[in-house]
Amino acid sequence: MGVLYHERHYGYSLVRVLSESGSISLKEGTIYPILARLDRDGLVRSEWVESDQGPPRKYYALTSSGRQLFDELNQEFDLLVSLVRQKSKVPEQSEQTRKKLVVRKA
Amino acid sequence: MSSERRNNVNNYPEAVAKIASDYLERVKSQLCLVPSRERDEFLRELQSHLYEAYRQTPGEDDVGRILEVLRNLGEPAEVVSDRLAGAMVRSGARRSLPLYIVGGILIAMFGVPLGFGGVGVPVGLVFALAGIVLAYYATAGSILLAGAMSMSMGLTRIFLPHLWDNLVTLRYIQMNGAPGELFDHLSRSEQGFLMILIASVLIASGLGMLWPGRYLLRGLRFLFSLVFDWTRRLAQSVRGKLCGDHHTRPHVGDVSFANNGQ
Repeated sequence: MGVLYHERHYGYSLVRVLSESGSISLKEGTIYPILARLDRDGLVRSEWVESDQGPPRKYYALTSSGRQLFDELNQEFDLLVSLVRQKSKVPEQSEQTRKKLVVRKA
Repeated sequence: MSSERRNNVNNYPEAVAKIASDYLERVKSQLCLVPSRERDEFLRELQSHLYEAYRQTPGEDDVGRILEVLRNLGEPAEVVSDRLAGAMVRSGARRSLPLYIVGGILIAMFGVPLGFGGVGVPVGLVFALAGIVLAYYATAGSILLAGAMSMSMGLTRIFLPHLWDNLVTLRYIQMNGAPGELFDHLSRSEQGFLMILIASVLIASGLGMLWPGRYLLRGLRFLFSLVFDWTRRLAQSVRGKLCGDHHTRPHVGDVSFANNGQ
């Protein structure tokens, strides 16, 4: 959804972008069931465009509800990341406290 | 690229076109339940993918390139998994076939091979239960038949000794080993009574088996009705949801691209 946010893509170009970014490793065929589900849920829209190099391509782009959902998911993800970062700081503090206590004992 | 004969549509070499069309045929056969319009559109999309991927895959060996493309694309079952489940549920709801709906849900949950396996398990269980009941009644029937035969033999031995002797002479009745020796030591009427006694035990056992068999049948009928009722409710709920979706879901074709000119 993030890739489709700014630019429309056809299936293969979407796979290329995802694999070149290196963030996701997936079987190329699995992208189509995902796109079909997003299409069915009204989160993306599709359009056939003639290609001068071969068969026509089916382009996908986010709909307004898709953009809205992506923004919401993005916010939730940021919140989750910040929570995880806060949690990860807590053990560091306790570790420091433990060290201080050890020093005092010694 | 090699100088082999080229395919007219996508300018593939002959061997590559054959491999690609074979793959698409396999996908098509897996999509037999999907509406033809949706299926054709998906096949066009896959055809486009194959062309783009083949064009951008480096290498001198054409067959090696298309095989790499297909390897990256995945097995047809993986590619169609989502569409097949949805199509099965929709088809089942439209044609009132609960097994299709259950199959679609299992495929959606566990994928194509495991999903079909999941459908196979309840079907197999039903057949196994039916087999057990059939075997039970066959055993009861055999015991009753053996009892009836033993009874008729006992009665024949007592009341029609000449017929018995004729049957023994003609070797229709043979009794060898320990039972034969035991019978040789008994008188005619004792032999008859012993056979009637055995027949009575067998008939009683057979009838005894038929008695709880009624409960077995009743339990099986209850189980079937439970499963049928559950699948019917599931079918109604899925049908209701599908009808609801049909009215509320936005139609993709109604919306135009915002960045069409890009």
